[in-house]
Amino acid sequence: MSYIFDGFNWDLSDPTSIPNLLFQHLIITGISLAIGLLIAVPVGVLAARYTKIYLPAITLAGILYTLPSLAFMALLIPFTGLNPPTVIIPLVLYTQVVLIRNIVAAIRAVDPALLEVGRAMGMTERQVLFRVSFPLALPVIVAGLRVAAVTTIGIATIGPLFGVPDLGYLIFQGFNFRINVQIEAGVILVSALAVGVDLLLLALQSFLSRGRQVVAVA
Amino acid sequence: MAKIEFVDVSKSYPGAAKPAVDHVSFTVREGGICMLLGTSGSGKTTLLRMVNRLIDPTSGSILIDGTATTAQDPIALRRSIGYVIQQVGLFPHLTVEENVRVVPSILGESAAESTDRVDELLVLVGLPPQEFRKRYPRQLSGGQQQRVGLARALAADPALLLMDEPFGALDAITRTRMQDELLHIQRDMHKTILFVTHDVEEAFRLGDQIVILTDGKLMQEGTPIELLASPANDFVAQLVGADNVVRQFEYLPVMMALEPATGPARERISAEAPLLDGLLQLIQTGQTALAVEERGEMRGQVTLASISRALRERKPDAAATGDAQPSDAASAVAGA
Repeated sequence: MSYIFDGFNWDLSDPTSIPNLLFQHLIITGISLAIGLLIAVPVGVLAARYTKIYLPAITLAGILYTLPSLAFMALLIPFTGLNPPTVIIPLVLYTQVVLIRNIVAAIRAVDPALLEVGRAMGMTERQVLFRVSFPLALPVIVAGLRVAAVTTIGIATIGPLFGVPDLGYLIFQGFNFRINVQIEAGVILVSALAVGVDLLLLALQSFLSRGRQVVAVA
Repeated sequence: MAKIEFVDVSKSYPGAAKPAVDHVSFTVREGGICMLLGTSGSGKTTLLRMVNRLIDPTSGSILIDGTATTAQDPIALRRSIGYVIQQVGLFPHLTVEENVRVVPSILGESAAESTDRVDELLVLVGLPPQEFRKRYPRQLSGGQQQRVGLARALAADPALLLMDEPFGALDAITRTRMQDELLHIQRDMHKTILFVTHDVEEAFRLGDQIVILTDGKLMQEGTPIELLASPANDFVAQLVGADNVVRQFEYLPVMMALEPATGPARERISAEAPLLDGLLQLIQTGQTALAVEERGEMRGQVTLASISRALRERKPDAAATGDAQPSDAASAVAGA
């Protein structure tokens, strides 16, 4: 803990200080999750409606998920070099299995009677989707996002190997120079970040579930 | 107000042996409550859902104020028709207020514009707005949820209201109260209401027109009195309880037991009053005869004996086979 509380490690002008590494870590996971959602939401909405899309989409996402992260990123180096995209592309693809599966399950779980009520009130199919299906599915979708976020924060720790200095830097650096306090600091900070983000998303999930029972992690 | 005509309407589903709705024709009059009565699988809900085109008929047509529903855009049509279903119908993620203003809001009205209307409707259905506006459906009882459902169906002030067993999931006491309130609200608003039920009691309480369906076919259609007084066949007779003495007393008019006046009677009764009122009036006043009055004219009289005779004559076969329940009951009262 001494490493974390040492004022020397909080110097903003040092790119490897704790706040800068933390910021990098947040940015890299944030971007990955955002792009992940941008892909998974439309795919999930379509897959929930058309079974023909669901199976190929979830199979492809499943295959990508089995690729080891280290190997996947190494494979990308010839194309993207030691840059953020090398880390972000695999992170985005890893989120897809969890996100798509959750979005499809969440949308399919909406009571069909409510969709029918929406139609009977004179909603167009688009209005049924945006006013009924999606808001009702949202808490479950966020539950899936929590799982994806924790996984992404964890995997992003290998970023420094590919030119992205995030909190993993503390672990690799500490390992190389046998500085145990630095390794510990890295582990604690990554874990704290994961727990913190998870709690934040949990709060969002309960806010979105207002009026209903809060769904446990899907 | 709106008039609905069903013209030779049929609906068959591919692969089904029998049509769900089989050549049904009848007219729902403007401002009335028409009850579609039948067991499950009788086609009553299918018939209802064809009105707002959730289902389209295989053949035949449904005319609302003379215009075929199939000639109208289904979205616009549905927005002009109120719809109430069993309790599941409220959107759980929306507050009471948001639920009520679903139709105005999909029509593009802002929340501010419809606030007064929402309050008005909540008052109409007996929910104080200050207390209930911001609540979620889960925080309401079954009866309260159904009130919100009714308010929501009325939000765009539709001329026509479709109700699919709206009180089916409520307990008996709440159901009766909701039925009373529906009648109360209807007295002021005069909507045309098409109401699906499997509950004969409910059909008689609410309906001024009852349509009896079985296996997709229309068995008989008429006022409660017509169905009780002259059931078209045994099925209808059994379903409406044509031999149910209590129901006969409640719905059949004293005109059924009219006989020529034998002398001046001190007490009067309207010709449309149910037999039950006649009986009670006879017993309470201790008179032997009541003068029957129709639009200011004396038509004759009713006595305990004439009521008893009227009920006995309505069931000739029952009397013959020894199942003398109606006449027994009637004479028991007559002898009291």
